[in-house]
Amino acid sequence: MSRSLRVGFDVGGTFTDGVLMRGRDVLTKAKSLTTQDVTTGIIHALDTLLERSGIDPGEIEMVSLGTTHTTNAIIERRNLNRVGVFRLGAPATTAIPPLTGWPEDLKAAIGGADLVHVVRGGSEYDGRDIVPLDRDAIEAACHEMAGKVDSVAITGVFSPIIADHEERAAEIVRRILGEDVHITLSHRIATISLLERENSTILNAAVIRVMQRAVNSLRTAVRERGIRARLFIVQNDGSVMSADYAVDYPIFTVASGPAASVRGAVYLSGIEDGVVVDIGGTSTDVAYIVHGFPRESSITVTIGGVKTNIRCPDLLSIALGGGTIVKHTGDDVTALGPESVGYNLVRLAASFGGPLLTVHDAAVALGHLTERLDVFQTDFVTDRDRLNALPRSLVENAWTAVRRTIEEAIDKMKTTAEPVPAIFIGGGALVVPKTGIGGVSHVLSPDHFEIGGAVGTTIAEIGAYAEGVVDLDVQDRDDALSHVTEQAIDHAEAAGALRETVEVMDVEEIPFTYMPGRREKIRIRVKGKVLT
Amino acid sequence: MTRRVRGPRAVLEEWGVGEFRVIDKPAIQEITLGASILATGGGGDPEIGLLWTYKVLDEGKEILMVDPMQIPDEIQTASPACLGAAIVLTEKPPSHTVLNLAMRKLEAYLERPIQATIPIECGGVNSPVAYAAAGEFGIPVIDVDGMNRAFPELQMTSWVTHGVHASPTVSVDDRHNVTVIDAGDDDVLAETLARRAAMAYGGISWVATYPLMGSDVKRTSILGSQSIAWAIGRAVLRARREHLDPVAELLRSLETERGVRGYRVFRGKIVDIRRDFGSETNKGFTLGSIVMEGIDRDRGRSATLDFQNEWLNLRIDGEVRCLPPDLIAILDSETGEPIRTDIMKYGYRGTIVLIPAHERMRTPKGIEMFGPRHFGYDLDYVPVEGLNENREGA
Repeated sequence: MSRSLRVGFDVGGTFTDGVLMRGRDVLTKAKSLTTQDVTTGIIHALDTLLERSGIDPGEIEMVSLGTTHTTNAIIERRNLNRVGVFRLGAPATTAIPPLTGWPEDLKAAIGGADLVHVVRGGSEYDGRDIVPLDRDAIEAACHEMAGKVDSVAITGVFSPIIADHEERAAEIVRRILGEDVHITLSHRIATISLLERENSTILNAAVIRVMQRAVNSLRTAVRERGIRARLFIVQNDGSVMSADYAVDYPIFTVASGPAASVRGAVYLSGIEDGVVVDIGGTSTDVAYIVHGFPRESSITVTIGGVKTNIRCPDLLSIALGGGTIVKHTGDDVTALGPESVGYNLVRLAASFGGPLLTVHDAAVALGHLTERLDVFQTDFVTDRDRLNALPRSLVENAWTAVRRTIEEAIDKMKTTAEPVPAIFIGGGALVVPKTGIGGVSHVLSPDHFEIGGAVGTTIAEIGAYAEGVVDLDVQDRDDALSHVTEQAIDHAEAAGALRETVEVMDVEEIPFTYMPGRREKIRIRVKGKVLT
Repeated sequence: MTRRVRGPRAVLEEWGVGEFRVIDKPAIQEITLGASILATGGGGDPEIGLLWTYKVLDEGKEILMVDPMQIPDEIQTASPACLGAAIVLTEKPPSHTVLNLAMRKLEAYLERPIQATIPIECGGVNSPVAYAAAGEFGIPVIDVDGMNRAFPELQMTSWVTHGVHASPTVSVDDRHNVTVIDAGDDDVLAETLARRAAMAYGGISWVATYPLMGSDVKRTSILGSQSIAWAIGRAVLRARREHLDPVAELLRSLETERGVRGYRVFRGKIVDIRRDFGSETNKGFTLGSIVMEGIDRDRGRSATLDFQNEWLNLRIDGEVRCLPPDLIAILDSETGEPIRTDIMKYGYRGTIVLIPAHERMRTPKGIEMFGPRHFGYDLDYVPVEGLNENREGA
């Protein structure tokens, strides 16, 4: 695939970035506004790419997408599914009911405690029932939920070892609530650790519709333009998974956008150790990279205030972007954001005669921005008089506040007192200070920085996994592990990875202690590059 | 027997004790983190103990901790605890009724009310659980424990090595099965019986154990154990807030609070995990070993740790560097969060820290009961100081 044509999109809250790559080279890039329906924004970017490059769409071999949709939906409590929650575990587990420790507004956004049912059931570690599954309670709960839920999350005690109760419960739910209600089973999401797995499962159920929309949008967009390539979504570890899989497991894409940006930043800059600062129209993500990969969060990852056991890069998100509103009293800056004018920049910001002072305006007023804004089909400023009327000290104070905010965010993520290099990418990198930032040795904005995330999606590794059940009384453990690893590598190769680049990311062994012999389930995750 | 609901303040007033520390949510968070670090890889999921204690505080119940030297000699105390495999607890949190049931049944067997709780060990579950139970029961918790670490077996306490006993112990489960274990002065038998009950229940039991009199608590406990955990937890949380090195802050707090030196000996990532849980041979523990490969200045070196719920021993490049009862903690280098045997995963990165066991755990009787030979190693106990002095950063 080393000379293959690949298209990547990075759909942010404000902008949709696109890039067309051949091998390691950027052929064309495009930026469009993210639209409500997502599709239109992707189509705009795609059309620009096709027009400018003049390539035959049929030649494109791979289309990949990084998106912040799932995270934004959870953080902003928007477009979430109403989730029917089943825990199969009573009389055990009642000391800590489902949704304990969740922020109240998020609880409300997914339908609240009325849709939560802790029913009798679940397994012991050795495969026995804790108590028999209470089918009647599940049926009754389903009848009560009918019409009130979009999706259902089922978490059974010890389901990663024996999934039987979860699967039986799912049958009942499907029979009563029908095929339109999506069901997430916890044993497909994460491993042992009930509370975190349950949280991850409920969050997955809550963002099903958001991911379905994003994937359908992408599918529609590429099909309409005659592209027959395989579709991939960037997942949390920076590798990609097939879009068909992503629609059922959106929780694995909560860090999709930032993970793509980190991959793009490392690729474009050649810097492998330092901080990546990805500045958009509304928010900025900061990641600390070691040997080219984002540092992984330890143990529990908090998403929208909820503890999960999803493996994720350690990221800090702050409300700072090009469109962030600078609040002030006289010439003193009182706050940056958190609100942003987003794609209303050209209507609301001072540079365009609008009523509000934004980060963009401060950059323009101080002469830091001199380029055309292609995405808005406009110059960076259209109302010079309005801008000149702003007091100089206010503009300078705003600039200082932006610098300090970025400095603080970088400092929070650093693990060393030594200054480190910083890679600034994303469209917003144009309008923030790049000098005099404490704790940073130098700031680099590599070529194509403004669409770094889109580049990241196209050079991302392909992730794959394989599972197998072995009996260690019969089979040597090392042989068994290498057998499953081989299978996982085959899967990665079949999905487009170069075999010699595939490496093992995770090895999980779960003993089936209820079976004779020493049986266990082995699950191995790998990822491999599409380019050498 | 009817339950008093007057609350811990009234109890302390009755004893004439005016000094105590109020345990609020930040306090229990600090104590639980510190205890979880001292738990040497075991002790269970702190989230469960914490959320449970939060629930008790949210119900408006008060939790007070008292210095052991202030308590009357003749009061009855007991230790509410979870006994079993940590991995089972992580997956199967308890019913909200189990602690109450165990304590009530122990009171009935003793024919006396329990007037204070004593945490059995430092652990993510068993430390906060003693606070949650104290809150629910309206009695104080005493600033002691029986280990100042976590250990896999019931009899591995300074209490036993100083001549008091775990029996009678009451063991219950979520379905309200109740087992009374009274093995007299045979604490190993008490452990065997309690473990059998836990396995029969499904891997986890909830016990009320070590019914000690106030005078015994003073004579046989690790005094101030809760304060040590609290200081460590506070230091690590402060390090996180102020971007200091959590491991350095932990070692500093240990020197201040206990006057002992800990050792930072290895930094690496987990490259192999062998777990052997639940088969007939391992008596119901999470059992196995891991291999870590060195990173940074430890590149090229390799560390092996065995575990039985807790980390047992450490070998670096084949050389023994720590033996029980001394403490081993693997801490996430950035946050200081302990990496536990029940949740560790392939690829986790951490710093290995060694801490000398408390002197009440290092008596000849202690080395006999929970030293290397007890765990099946053909090795004499050498204190961690002897194995590591002048070797740090080797």
